[in-house]
Amino acid sequence: MRTYWIRKLLGLPLILLVASFLIFAAVRLLPGDPARLMAGMQADQQVVNSVRARLGLDKPFAVQYALFLRGVMHGDLGVSTRSHKPVAQEIADRFPYTLALTSVSYAFAILLGITAGVVAAIYGGKMLDHFVMLGAISGASIANYWLALMAMSLFAVQLGWLPLLGAHGWKSYILPSITLGLLPGAVIARMCRASMLEILQQDYIRTARAKGVTGLRLYLKHALRNALVPIVTIAGMNFGSLLGGAVITETVFNWPGVGRLMIDAVRYRDYATIQGITLLTVALVTSINLAVDLLIGALDPRIRFE
Amino acid sequence: MAARLRVVAVAAACLAVFGCGRTTPQPSRVTIMQFEAPVTMDPGDHTSSLTYDVLAPIYEALTKFGEGLAVEPSLATAWNVDATGTKWTFTLRRNVRFQDGSPFDAEAVAHSFARLVDPARGLAGGSRFRAILASVTAADTYTVVFTLRRPYAPFLRVTAVTPIVSEAADAKGILSSRAVGTGPYKFVEWRTGEHVLEERNNDYWGARPAAQQLLWTWTSEPVLMNMSVLTGEADIVNPLPPIFAEALQKSPRVQLIEGVGTSVFWVALNMQTKPLSDLRVRQALNYATDRDALVRTQLRGFGAPANSPLAPADFGYAAATRGYGYDPARAKRLLAEAGYGEGLTLKMAAQEEDGALAEALQGMWANVGVRLEIESMEHGVYSQTIFGSPRQKQAAGIDCVLAAWASDNADPDFQLSPLYATDAWSPASANLGFYSNPRLDALLANAAAELDPEKRKALYATAQQTIVDDAPHVLLYYPQAVAARHVGSATGAARLLPGGRIDFDGK
Repeated sequence: MRTYWIRKLLGLPLILLVASFLIFAAVRLLPGDPARLMAGMQADQQVVNSVRARLGLDKPFAVQYALFLRGVMHGDLGVSTRSHKPVAQEIADRFPYTLALTSVSYAFAILLGITAGVVAAIYGGKMLDHFVMLGAISGASIANYWLALMAMSLFAVQLGWLPLLGAHGWKSYILPSITLGLLPGAVIARMCRASMLEILQQDYIRTARAKGVTGLRLYLKHALRNALVPIVTIAGMNFGSLLGGAVITETVFNWPGVGRLMIDAVRYRDYATIQGITLLTVALVTSINLAVDLLIGALDPRIRFE
Repeated sequence: MAARLRVVAVAAACLAVFGCGRTTPQPSRVTIMQFEAPVTMDPGDHTSSLTYDVLAPIYEALTKFGEGLAVEPSLATAWNVDATGTKWTFTLRRNVRFQDGSPFDAEAVAHSFARLVDPARGLAGGSRFRAILASVTAADTYTVVFTLRRPYAPFLRVTAVTPIVSEAADAKGILSSRAVGTGPYKFVEWRTGEHVLEERNNDYWGARPAAQQLLWTWTSEPVLMNMSVLTGEADIVNPLPPIFAEALQKSPRVQLIEGVGTSVFWVALNMQTKPLSDLRVRQALNYATDRDALVRTQLRGFGAPANSPLAPADFGYAAATRGYGYDPARAKRLLAEAGYGEGLTLKMAAQEEDGALAEALQGMWANVGVRLEIESMEHGVYSQTIFGSPRQKQAAGIDCVLAAWASDNADPDFQLSPLYATDAWSPASANLGFYSNPRLDALLANAAAELDPEKRKALYATAQQTIVDDAPHVLLYYPQAVAARHVGSATGAARLLPGGRIDFDGK
């Protein structure tokens, strides 16, 4: 068991190294010339070439990668070709916004998912179950981009209840976190319902009912606790997609997080920034998967990782 | 430029009298939203007009554009050129300081230009100077002398769009992230994901603007510009896409601001490969294009059909240039004469953003038997593709390119030489269809060196007609500059300068 965790932890840097190479190569395989994009359409070839030299993009691929790797070892992710600030600083400035938004959205998704799932399972096969599941399927199917624009148009432009853009106080969180949390919430709801329905048919639940345990105590303490393992797994897996969804949500709401930074970086082929954000995402998703493993082990002591 | 630098908004008076501001007492702030983030804070290291707009309140140049784009004094009070047309002497304004406290003098001017042509610096804004500027020297504290490699008429207009930077700040290497100029606003902060904040420069030498702060923000979603100006989260959005301009026209919450545009949309035709090497085919495409319909559908009426490769606001624009009317029957005849009576297929590279325009052309050209295949490309891929060499374009099978061009100084040399001169064939510059006419090359060279404005105009009139007759491009339209202002915002009477820069000094 302990060797399992040691192996997992030692594997992390290796994953990051492989990822760094893949990312580094992939951004350079993208069509589009960073020097041309930086210099602009009206710059002539001579200027574009000198910009390219300044960016170090005229060096051989292997040399560029070696320089990048050496920088990363020293915590230096390079300098953004757009803002001219260190990428590490750019990410550090933006990441708190993304973390805050994804955390609130995640909390919303889990709350929504588990509530809806439990309610649907309790009323399994009845009208309310169908109604909740219809909502969940819609939530999982609606393009959050479209939903965001409709919500903005109604609540910000027509009614003026909520701010339209940016991160200014708690009201700013409402629309983006609903937009972002709806899809994982719907996925969690479906998983939660299925898992709960299965548990509710188990013998020990019947025993508990026979003993006189009823209502919320039965559903939450006896059933939900044992239904949690698949829910935690699916919720953990969805954190990655939440980060991915943040790219779109942040762009639509002008949220000053790393998602929007990524969109700008890709548009201008800001290699250093793309690399930095992708590496960070890889590190985050791997760590969260590790944490989910740990949590599952704690929730169900019968589960053993070898 | 400085015409828009005398930026002033209404502000305190409006707040007090009309109560049209926010309830908490705070500095009057004007929020301007654009569709693209600034690329740098260094005015010499970009060629983006939206970045220019953000930096314009902070920086000034030797000269500026006044009404009708005439060149007026700004940081230089007087200037002259010698008989050879290569030696320009500027007398500088005294008692001006940069926002970092360093003095504005001839050394600062010389440095601001010298750094642009230094290949070791690799600054993106160097294109227009490297071939022209031989040297720039400080003759004394307030006199600066430029020596050009050849007589160059656009030079005075170029000085109007070349901001003068603090040499001390440049030496510290901070200009890419902090702007330090002499203008009426000074740099406060650039939060790269959010905004650029500028504050009134109380030591400014000229008339002080009324708005205490300018806040520049941006979004990459055009629909958000529309919504932001409706809610008032943006006081001004600029430029406003025509589709929203049409919708907002009726809104009581928004006032449209209309101005003169300087950009020209066109399709560059690859003249080095068949079938577009044939003049009759190029003319046929021109006759097959219903420009009025394009203005109506694509620009929602906010623009005009193009008859010349110059925009109406450009110096030397000849309204009399005879363009191509809409005549599909004639287009069909020309195609038949050229041996394409059965029709032909062309592949066009276009940006994703121009998809609707590309499809409109596809429909129009289909009526005369031209099958247009649209290669819709993301911005980065597009810019790499269109600057391909003749061989690369042939290999990719690109017959034509849909694009637009605007010169920031309204000088015809910047609109014509990069697009139509033989030495501008891509990748060197933006002659994307490899047009070459030695007679036109000579005309453009002579016109650029002609210091007499009237003679220069005449040369450009001939050049415009020559280009239209050779039909290297299908010229499409001139979009109007349109911005929008939230009614009730304390911005004063905002207006657009030719080319679309916002000026909100309430005049």
